[in-house]
Amino acid sequence: MKIKKQSVSEEIPTASMADIAFLLIIYFMVTTTFAATRGLDFSLPKDDQDTPPMVDKEESVLIEIQPGGVLMVDGKAMPLDAILEYLKPKLERNPAKPVIIRPNPEAEYGYMVAVFDEIRQAPDKIGMEVKNVSIPTQREIEMFWY
Amino acid sequence: MRLKVRGTQNEGIPTASMADIAFLLIIFFMVTINFEVDKTTVGLPTTELRFEIPKKSAYISIIESGQIRVSSGEEISVAVPGPENVLSFAVDVVASNPGKAFVLKADKNVPYRYVDSVIDALKQARAEVIYLLSEQETLDGDGGGQ
Repeated sequence: MKIKKQSVSEEIPTASMADIAFLLIIYFMVTTTFAATRGLDFSLPKDDQDTPPMVDKEESVLIEIQPGGVLMVDGKAMPLDAILEYLKPKLERNPAKPVIIRPNPEAEYGYMVAVFDEIRQAPDKIGMEVKNVSIPTQREIEMFWY
Repeated sequence: MRLKVRGTQNEGIPTASMADIAFLLIIFFMVTINFEVDKTTVGLPTTELRFEIPKKSAYISIIESGQIRVSSGEEISVAVPGPENVLSFAVDVVASNPGKAFVLKADKNVPYRYVDSVIDALKQARAEVIYLLSEQETLDGDGGGQ
């Protein structure tokens, strides 16, 4: 009697490979999040000493930010887009003119960022850089201003 | 006369290269995937200037209610009870990597006093640079939230 031999395929079955691969793709597509990875850089003073660099209040431009986004520049109410025009003649006389941003503790953070962004755009808008911008913290104000 | 049919056409769609394409897509996702260390949902402020944030930066997020979460950039962020804990966190981060950048991911509506306390802690910890995470400002003056 002749015994029938069962034939075994010599190839590796790859039919399901695409299914597995597409499942992995779906996993990566679902779990991938497009995170915001950009922002405004803000260099802190490299203080080797315990006291921050002294900025004379009288010689600087003081930008106060009130709750609701009201801006007071050297005591005068001013819209955001008028700040750089106000700074331009002062920077022409003194390119190292210090600018102090002082938000009210209850003012919204977004307004501080908007003011800082506007000042950082000075080279594009008025052709001059504001080299000396400081944002003193409440502790520094209490320690060194009064 | 009986005509001989020349050659046979395969009716199936060739799927042999499907797995190759799928695996190429997987490699693309694996290379570009960016695991977020901080998944806090905040309404970011919008800025016109935005700079690329270095990878593995330490994250400090503040939601609108003032709750703070921190991450050294290596692990998922954790909530901290108050701003005083940010100082000890920042001191540890700076001690292990003095040049490490900090990313401040704060809600645009958060009262500035919370941000002030965080910036003060970072200054005391001798951090060198802070990135204020932001969304791109669009022509109508607003950006998306995250």
